[in-house]
This record gives sequence, structure tokens and C-alpha cells, in this order.
Amino acid sequence: MAAKAAVEALLRERKLDRTLTSVMPERLSDEALAPLDVEALDRGLAGGLPRGQVSEVVGPASSGRTSLVWAALGAASRRGEHVALVDTFDRFDPPTAAACGIDLSRLLWVRGQAISKTAGAVDPSWLPGVRAVGGPGTMVERAIDRALKALNLVVQSGVCTLVAIDFADVPATALRRLPAATWLRIERAIGGGDTAVVVLAAAPLARSADGRTIRLEARQEGDACREREACREEDLGWERDTDRAHSRHVSPPVKHPLPVKHPLPGQHPLPITHPLPSVIWKGSHDRSRRFSGVRTAASITAARWSQASRVTFETTAIGVV
Amino acid sequence: MFAAMFTGSTGSTGSLLSVAQSFSPRVEAFGAGSLVLLDASGLSRLFGSSRELGKYLLTAISVSSASSAALDAPAYPLHASVAVAPTAVAAMLLALARRGLTVVAPEQEAAALAPLPISTLAEFERIRTAPSHPRTPAPPHLHLLGVLLKWGIRTLGALAALPGPEVHERLGAHGVAWQRLARGQDDRPMVPRVDEAPFEGVIELEWPIEGLEPLSFVLARLLEPLAVRLEQADRGAAVLYTSLRLTTRAVQTRALQLPAPIRDPKTLRTLILLDLESHPPAAAIDTVRVLIEPTPGRVLQWTLLDRAQPAPEQVSTLIARLTALMGEGHVGAPALVDSWRPGAFAMTEFRVKSGECLTPALATRHSSLFTLHSALRRFRLPIPARVQVREGRPVRVAIDRHGFSSGTVVQAAGPWRTSGEWWTTGSTGSAGVSSASSAALAGSAPSAAWDRDEWDIAMTDGTIYRLAVERQVGQWFVEGVLD
Repeated sequence: MAAKAAVEALLRERKLDRTLTSVMPERLSDEALAPLDVEALDRGLAGGLPRGQVSEVVGPASSGRTSLVWAALGAASRRGEHVALVDTFDRFDPPTAAACGIDLSRLLWVRGQAISKTAGAVDPSWLPGVRAVGGPGTMVERAIDRALKALNLVVQSGVCTLVAIDFADVPATALRRLPAATWLRIERAIGGGDTAVVVLAAAPLARSADGRTIRLEARQEGDACREREACREEDLGWERDTDRAHSRHVSPPVKHPLPVKHPLPGQHPLPITHPLPSVIWKGSHDRSRRFSGVRTAASITAARWSQASRVTFETTAIGVV
Repeated sequence: MFAAMFTGSTGSTGSLLSVAQSFSPRVEAFGAGSLVLLDASGLSRLFGSSRELGKYLLTAISVSSASSAALDAPAYPLHASVAVAPTAVAAMLLALARRGLTVVAPEQEAAALAPLPISTLAEFERIRTAPSHPRTPAPPHLHLLGVLLKWGIRTLGALAALPGPEVHERLGAHGVAWQRLARGQDDRPMVPRVDEAPFEGVIELEWPIEGLEPLSFVLARLLEPLAVRLEQADRGAAVLYTSLRLTTRAVQTRALQLPAPIRDPKTLRTLILLDLESHPPAAAIDTVRVLIEPTPGRVLQWTLLDRAQPAPEQVSTLIARLTALMGEGHVGAPALVDSWRPGAFAMTEFRVKSGECLTPALATRHSSLFTLHSALRRFRLPIPARVQVREGRPVRVAIDRHGFSSGTVVQAAGPWRTSGEWWTTGSTGSAGVSSASSAALAGSAPSAAWDRDEWDIAMTDGTIYRLAVERQVGQWFVEGVLD
């Protein structure tokens, strides 16, 4: 015990005491948190996103990751705070965001370059009035570099109390090339202040010692659709090589459809082999069906927590009656 | 609140004006300076109540007249009058009609003006519209006085009590204007006397300079004395003009609209340099000229209960730096526009709002009302997609881009048909291609009209896309991802 106390005292002396682990973090005061105004998530986050820290929201596409970040921005803007969004590839949709509850007049929107990897996309550094940014040569990497510089400017100014940066569509290879000091610099800029930084990405990227990681995953529901899909593909006569080249998570198609398994008596009629997406639809008929939302599970972790807390929630489509 | 001072003689023109300017920078003089109006808003923090301000003004007038005449003057000069009233017209009429100090409480101006004689209006009009040349004919509406006296209207209260439509019927617009004056209502805003010397600085360089770094020192020399003058006049810069005469005899002028009055020289210099960084001069600089359009300074009431709002200097500098980095039109606050066009928005200037914070109780009450809504990540450059349709519904999608799902459509919802702007002039004849999609198709300027069907589709891996098909050309696009 004495040795442990000595080590902890040494860590505190070197101002490294934030790396000390404990079972649960201490409850921060309300001023030190930026709640999301969603009860289940705020409970899982022990009050909200911590200010002065870098947190991250990660997950695959359509998992509700963007909805969660927009919820945080909306909650802060409704509290009268000024928020900022560094939109690396210009994916933000103001009408939807306004319907999500973001006070747009309090949002500082820093728009990056809309890149769709088409030949017509123009490198902004060639536009008049845009300062050329040195760095790696590809257009995507320069867009990332510019977004990080913008993030630095915003957090150093202290104008906004919640700053989100959107790296959701950035290739993982480009993110891996970022120097480690990038996030350390951001953390130092907001340390001790009331600004919270949220990184939106597809995979865990950066988080400060007292930040939170919210990992979203579409809640998969098993169903026997594999045979149905296979039959449908056969009926369509689709070129399957296209699927193999472009699908991310779909298992490679087979030349011959799987034979339909007839369940034995007392057995589950069909095995759970292929998950359905976590989409919630409203209406059963083809003509009356509408997109209703996404069912999502979030696992929230922090460096000082020994266990992740798991929260299940749903997003709701706007305008669905 | 407004304060008016009247001396009745034009001999003390300069002294009365200087007295008023020592109290407030917003001063307006009438009748060759015999009647002076000053904006008393915000002076209560320095001089106390309106009555105390009036006493200070009377004392200042007496001291000024005594020093100018070098004679012993009474405590209040007999010919001086001061009136403090909520409206400018009421203050001036009371100063003309009553000697000494008159103070009117808010919303009591009509009652205070009621006993004044009707001739006060004629005197007021005579002073306010004093001809620049003695032979200039008098304003035509002065004959109203005779008409009103014939009617038996002796006081302003009697004129104010007349029904408005009948007054307009018989006396015209001038009669209505007089009635408004009799009620103490301002007929125009105050036009402050503009300082003769503009906030301008010029430096002609002995040797032309190239680059922005040496220019920053020149700007510092120009802006620091201007900032001192702004502070003395309680002004801030609203618009900042920078004019550079180049060695090619060309003149480059840049105008910076500032979101809030700023007089910090370092901030102003940074803003000019950041703007010039985006729009660099084409040649070496020969002459530097800076002109500041002033505006009244900010008055902020700080509070210990709310979160401190960022200073406008910080915001302006941040916006300028971000604009220099990201480009024009890429930084600001989004705003909704009155259109059914999918994804329509406008970029506005990002401004810091102060004093509009929700109270914690209200914020907590709102929190229970909000749930998590699905967000749409919109592709500004729509991505073409190959879609196989069966019975009018998409069943398979192929997208030739990395990172996008292709394959079987598990479920689809739609279509939602929208169209618009086909009635506007200048739209394309086909009227079928939305702006962004048409630009993606042909690389041309976007058209105004759109006509398309939207679908929400779910792929096997759980990704939900929003597809749109341009009905005129039959081309499918990926509009965005529901996330």
C-alpha cells in the first residue's frame, strides 16, 4: 500500500494523476458536463460529455452516430451556448438539423470541401481567396489537414463551448497517417476550459484521458432472410461480381443458392445466419411503408471505468406520423 | 431620454454646443446653435437621475457663459433653459417655452406639453427649419398658426385633442405633423452632429513595400491613433475600409463589415491582414489609407449567473481566420430558406448572441421533450447510382464508389415526389434536374427547377440511403445517408 501511495503521489506531482484508474469516475458538477438531453444516454454518460475533454462517437454508417452528435449540438444550442461543427466533407444538412433541434443561429458551421471522388471535384487550394495549405498531396488529406487547422482555430478562440468534428467519411488509412500530437494539441487547448470536443468517426480515433467513447452499433436482429435474398438474387440474375467489389459487410455471394433447410420438429424454423439491418419501418404494405428510425445500441466507455455501460435507444425519423 | 438646451441668443452658439458635447457625443444643433439637443441615453450611470443631469447641464451652461463673458453670472443664467424628456420633440418644445429646468417622466410628455401655447410650435418650426439665407422664404406651413388661432386653438393640448382624420381633412399633412408634435411624438430620428474630422489615416511610403509582414507595421501606426480617437468619442468601428495604392497606379480597396463595434487596434489590424491574405495586392504598395466608419460603442451588462459570452473581437478574428483557411462562403451560421427544395439553406454571418440564454429550469423542462432524431448526411455532389427497379420499386443498387454499400435492397420506402421552381423564368426547359444533380450530370451551372422521386432504402448491412431519381432523365443518385 505504501508503494502504491508513493506511486500515486509521484504521478500527482508530475501531473499525471489522471491516468490513475478507478472503478467509476467521480460525479462531475453540472457545469463540467454537457448533457445530451436524452435521458438514457445522459445516465450512461454519468451526466453528459465532459467539458475540457475530447470525446468520440464512433460507429458504422446508419448506426445513429450522427444523430447522437447532432443531439449534443442541439442540446447545447438550446441551453444558449454557441456550438461549432467542423464538417470535413460538407455533409451537414441544415433543414434536418433544424428539425433535430439545433438552433442554427448558434451554430458555427465550418464547411469543408464536398468530395465525392469524382473527376469534377475541385481542389479548394486552387480557388481564389483560399490559402494554400501545405501537407500531403491528395485532395482528401488536404481536406483533413484543413479541417484540423479549423478545429485548432475554433478551440483556441474559446468562442464555442461544444465543438464537433466530422471524420465519419474519412478513409481509415488517411486518419492513421495523422500524427499523434494532433489530438494532444487539441487536448491542451481545451484543458481546464469549458469547451468539449466531440470527434465523429467510423472507428475509435482519439480521446483524452477523461473523455468518453460512445461506440454505436446497429442492433442486429437475426432473421431468416438469407434464403429469401438468395432466391431474389437468382430471380434477378444480377451480376454478382459487382457485389463482391463494392459491398463492405455482405458476405460474398455464392454461385448457387443455398438449399432451403427444412427444420426438424421442435427446432427453430430457420437458423439465425444473416442479420437484418436495424431499420424500423412504419407500415407493412409496400406502398404505405415509411422509414421510421434506427434501433441502436451504444456502449460507453471511459479510461477510468473498468466496465462499459451499455445503452439501447432508437432514433426517430422526422416527420413520420 | 433626450435633453434640450435653449439660450435664446445665438451669441453663445459655440459654448452651448461645447457644453452639450462634454456630456454626450450624440448632439444635434438647431437655429445656428441656439437650440441644442443631446441624447441622454446611458448618462444616468454618470450623472444620476434626469433631474440631476438637468442641474449639471444648467450649471455647465452658467460656467461656460461666465467664463466667456468674464463676468459674475448667476447660478442659472436667466435666459437659459434645459428640458429633459422621453422624446426629442417634447424636450425641445419644453426648452423653448419654459425657463429653467424642466424634467418630464416617461409617458408624461403629452401632459407636460398640453399647457404650452400654440405659438411654441411656430417658434419651434422657425428654429428647426432656419433658412441658410435671410432672403429664403419662410416655410409654407407656418400659416397654420393663424388658422389654428382662428379656430380658437390656444394650447398644444387643445391641438392634440382634435380628432386626427378631421385635422388631416382640413389642414393636410402639415396639420397632422403639428398634431404629432403637440403630442410629443418624434417625427424623425435624431441626426447627430458628425465630427468634422473623419476617422481616417494615410501614410505615403517613401519606398514601396511588398508582402503583408511589413504592411502590418504600417497598419499598426495607422490604427493606434485612430483607436485612441474612437475611444475618446465612445465609438467603435462598424465598417473598415482599407485602400492601397499600388505602384501600378491601381487602387485596391477592401471593405470589412464588422459584426460588432470594435476599436481594439490589434484586432483591426489582424482582420485587415487576414482579408488581404485572401485578396493580396497585385503589386507593391505605395500608399496605405484606412478609413473607419464609426458607430456607438457597446454597452454590456455582465452577469454572474450566466455563462460569459465571447467578445465580438474574438468572434471576428476567428471568422476571418477560418474564412482565410476554408474560403468565402464556407464559414458562418446556416439558415433555412423558404423553399421546398430538398436540402435548401443559406449561409449567414455567425453572430454571438448575448442575454438570450435559457434559464436552467427552462432548459431542463425542454430536455424531456426532445428525443433522438435521425440525421441525414447529405452529399452535396450527388453520387450516381445504378438501380434495378422491379414493379416501380428499387430492388438492387450498385454504387461505383469505395465505401458505399451495393447489393440487394432489403426494404424500401417511397417514392416521395417533389418538384418546384419549374414556373420561374430562366429554368431549363426540361425542368427535371435538380440543381446539384444537374451540376453533377453535366458540370454546368445549376438550374432552378427540380422534379424527382425520393426513396429511403435499407441495404443488407444496415446502411440506409436516400436515393433520388430525376424523373426527366431517369438518372438515380445517392442523396445521402440516414445516420
